[in-house]
Amino acid sequence: MALTRRSFIVGVPALAALGCSTGQEERVGASRDAVLFSTRSRKPGSRSVLVCMPETRQTSEVWRGLSDELSREFELIALRTEGGDASATIARGIERYRPAGLVLMNNPTVDGYRRVQAHAQHTAFPPSVIVMSSFLEGTPAHLRAATGISYEVPLITVVTNLRKLIATPIDRIGVVHRGALSGFVRRQAALANREQTAVIREEVSQSPNASEIKRALRRLKQRCDAIWVLNDDRLLTPRLLADGWLHGLNEPPWVPTIVGAASLVSPSQSFGTFAVLPDHTALGTQAANLMLDIADNDWTLPSSGATQLPLSTTTTVDLTQARERFALRPSALAQVDKVLER
Amino acid sequence: MGKLLVYLHVAVKQRAFQSLLSAGLPGVATTAVGRAADFERALQDAPDAVLSLPIVLAANGLTPVLRGFAHGTADERYALVGTGAPPEAGKVASVGALDLLGREGTNKFVRRLVGQQARVERVTKIEDLLPLLQVQRVEGVLLPSRLVGDLRAASRLALAGRDLDQTVALPAAASRGAGAAAVLATLGKMPKDLSKLLGVEEWR
Repeated sequence: MALTRRSFIVGVPALAALGCSTGQEERVGASRDAVLFSTRSRKPGSRSVLVCMPETRQTSEVWRGLSDELSREFELIALRTEGGDASATIARGIERYRPAGLVLMNNPTVDGYRRVQAHAQHTAFPPSVIVMSSFLEGTPAHLRAATGISYEVPLITVVTNLRKLIATPIDRIGVVHRGALSGFVRRQAALANREQTAVIREEVSQSPNASEIKRALRRLKQRCDAIWVLNDDRLLTPRLLADGWLHGLNEPPWVPTIVGAASLVSPSQSFGTFAVLPDHTALGTQAANLMLDIADNDWTLPSSGATQLPLSTTTTVDLTQARERFALRPSALAQVDKVLER
Repeated sequence: MGKLLVYLHVAVKQRAFQSLLSAGLPGVATTAVGRAADFERALQDAPDAVLSLPIVLAANGLTPVLRGFAHGTADERYALVGTGAPPEAGKVASVGALDLLGREGTNKFVRRLVGQQARVERVTKIEDLLPLLQVQRVEGVLLPSRLVGDLRAASRLALAGRDLDQTVALPAAASRGAGAAAVLATLGKMPKDLSKLLGVEEWR
């Protein structure tokens, strides 16, 4: 379910030329299975926490938040988990470091750990905290002793941010989604309702074509104050982006479009007006606090074990599009982290 | 050029704050940080002066030499804000607060204000306090009373606040290097609108 932003970049050459962030790994020449980072606690006899992560700019930011919080209390070992042998790397890491807890970053890492658990049905595993995994909600059913933090920024946060920027009322948010994500959208709508926000849904087929996307957008734009684009890779294929979304969004009536990927905001290719993304360093801090709560609970998950919502976000604006099409609040630019302008 | 390290939480993004500081303090190289760990790292870069809350300065062995004042006093009120009825200090079970001093130090600071019973949820930005209330992670959030209006303006929740009895000292500056005198002199003449962002009316 992870959004393949790289394929979007390949599919939309204008954005590729801009060098937008693709989440590509920054290889530093170390071999696979290498320990990426480690920290040593000053506390004698401190427990260890194993962090399983691919090597990207975003995961490094999460590591920074994690290690700033946890390195005084625990030994931290970050293992690179990439490619098909993620499960073997994790299994070797658990065997070698005997961690009291694990942090798992991104979908392939979580899938690798699921395979480790599947091969050891009767083994007790330490508690784990999942981050950067798409559409993680409730209690992770596919893993034992796991909790985590959702990667999707809640709609209620998106709307709160948008209202700080746009001068016109934002009361109704439109969303195009597949049936598979109906439950997710309904839960987000219920939460957003606390901030008096109505959600208008346009459900498309499981494998929609460009016309379906355009039609859904046209219908929504008549009835809502902003469009919220889900990070659903089935809806954001290069073909659908080029022939569906870009056409549907770049025609009147104009409504602000909020996306969940930085690469979808670009002044030279009007797509997202704003990107509201998780603040990765803060996400690491939040994961660290969850791990500290688990440690305080004698290394067992809190009773609910339910995943948390990410609390901290960063906002990017396509100022060229925003100024051309919408009325911004006078203080808007003081409330964004990154301003893109042609 | 003298170097000033600023560790304060304000109601604008770090990017905007950094640029306001650079424009408002000519001749001073300012570095603004928003996280306790970043502050500790930046202290190693030998700033000439440090601007932060006195509790943060004290925790790092620094003594204020220039203090911010508002309404004739060097302290300000803090408020506890929740949804529906205002939360009561001494009874509130969970409180969201800015992470000023790391886990242990912040817990101690917050519990001094709202009571020992409170579980503390730390965030690194003022804007992150509202999501704690929106997703019902805490019963109340703690912030300077002057920022309650901003919180209300950003939300349609029925927010209710109560000022606390105890006060917290306003931002202050400490000397740390040879260029401190020049930095502090410029700091003392900070533009009013920038001072106001920090909750300060004058510097003494």
